[in-house]
Amino acid sequence: MSMVKLVNVRKSFGDLEVLKGVNLEVQQGEVVCIIGASGSGKSTMLRCLNQLERISDGEIYIEDVLSDKRANNKDLMKIDPATVQSLCTELGMVFQNFNLFPHLTVMDNVTIAPLIVKKTDKKIAETRALDLLSMVGLSEKKDEYPSRLSGGQQQRVAIARALAMDPKIMMFDEPTSALDPELVGEVLATMRQLAEKGMTMLIVTHEIGFAREVADRVIFMDSGVICEEGTPEEVLLNPKEERTKSFLNKIL
Amino acid sequence: MGQCSNFYDEGKINVLNETQLWAIFDGTIVTLEIAIVAIIFGAIFGVVVALGRLSKNKVANVLSWFYIWFFRGTPMLLQLFIIFYAIPIIYLDATGITFTVNPMIAAFVAFSLNATAYLAEIIRAAIESIDGGQMEASKALGMSYRQAMTKIIIPQTYKRLVAPLGNELIMLLKDTSLVSTIALFDLLRTTKTMASATGSWIYYIYAAAIYLFLTTIIQVVFDMMEKKLGIYER
Ligand SMILES: Nc1ncnc2c1ncn2[C@@H]1O[C@H](COP(=O)(O)OP(=O)(O)OP(=O)(O)O)[C@@H](O)[C@H]1O
Ligand SMILES: [Mg+2]
Repeated sequence: MSMVKLVNVRKSFGDLEVLKGVNLEVQQGEVVCIIGASGSGKSTMLRCLNQLERISDGEIYIEDVLSDKRANNKDLMKIDPATVQSLCTELGMVFQNFNLFPHLTVMDNVTIAPLIVKKTDKKIAETRALDLLSMVGLSEKKDEYPSRLSGGQQQRVAIARALAMDPKIMMFDEPTSALDPELVGEVLATMRQLAEKGMTMLIVTHEIGFAREVADRVIFMDSGVICEEGTPEEVLLNPKEERTKSFLNKIL
Repeated sequence: MGQCSNFYDEGKINVLNETQLWAIFDGTIVTLEIAIVAIIFGAIFGVVVALGRLSKNKVANVLSWFYIWFFRGTPMLLQLFIIFYAIPIIYLDATGITFTVNPMIAAFVAFSLNATAYLAEIIRAAIESIDGGQMEASKALGMSYRQAMTKIIIPQTYKRLVAPLGNELIMLLKDTSLVSTIALFDLLRTTKTMASATGSWIYYIYAAAIYLFLTTIIQVVFDMMEKKLGIYER
């Protein structure tokens, strides 16, 4: 099944066109790593998927259901807001800066969205949160506030928090870029574990080694378009496009 | 001078008699009541007006802008006069019916409206100071704007609001002395009346002592609240 599909997606901020016709389809269970220079539109693409940003033109499908269809910054189709909301919560998101809720304990960070968005029963939400926290190796930190955790621990809580909404697709926007080098490994290990469980994942990353290891597909974005895509071997080891080659040369 | 020495001779300057004591007590209560009512309503409506200022809705935005513009841009005393003196006249002209505003109610309303304007700006600044990533993370988790505001953003402003809220309460406590102009006996007016009647300055010292006592308590209590609310910060 196709989990997300972008058809000719364009996105402009004022006069600046950031996405210039992106086409992408991700299958169930696929792990897609997205690489590309700063400003190439990687984050914007992810943010358009869960409608943190609205696209200017194009179509977005989530699990084969249309979630957004626009042209010239106007809706071409009036889609029921409840449908949009439930489609967007199929996408979990993990941010570069974790964005944990500092006023809530680890446990409350993980349970708050199920409690208030899905109206899950508190007992059930807490049991599920404990499972998720032990999956990311942090069940003993459940009563701590985020400020008392290391960056790596915070990011793992953020992963558990996103998983608590039972998303079908997980999006990671440079999840390890804000971390001290020695903390990167623990977050990547958690993500690897998710990939092994068959989670569909879209990962923006500069960790080329990690991409080679876990990605089914690697996408290289350059100035608002997907410039090259293929298996990790194809894109990372034998890139065809000049732009891909020069980008890889720069970061390796 | 002659009158003053009369009272001095009778030894009435230093000791308050029971009637005076109760009058000062009542005046202090009036002062406190107005300040406390105003801070509570001001905080509640201040959130509403702040959300209006932050809203994408043009009408809400313009209305709250005008509200703040008016109440911060005119003297408190004028606002008090409008509510106590002008509104009954406007009402009389419009309907031909006379009515008078209870001065205490007028004071509650005027001070609450005024505190709302000041607190709205403080609350808006506090909300804007919360990192944008918090709203994004909330939305990415499926929360509505309202849920994100009430459960995530606004609770994070509490600690930042405690100190300005304490300041505002102290300001209010002192500004309530303006109510003497609408026939209310607050702490200052009560003591002033006694001072004039007896010709003794000591009543001003009593007033200062009570104001200082109250503002010190407010300071201490708000400092404690700030510490407690910051528990999640390392
Ligand atoms: N809200 C916004 N308003 C205006 N411009 C924006 C906005 N968000 C992003 N941009 C611009 O869009 C371009 C693409 O940004 P985006 O964040 O998608 O890039 P990126 O590929 O994720 O880069 P990075 O590796 O630095 O995170 C940049 O030039 C950025 O300045
Ligand atoms: Mg980015």
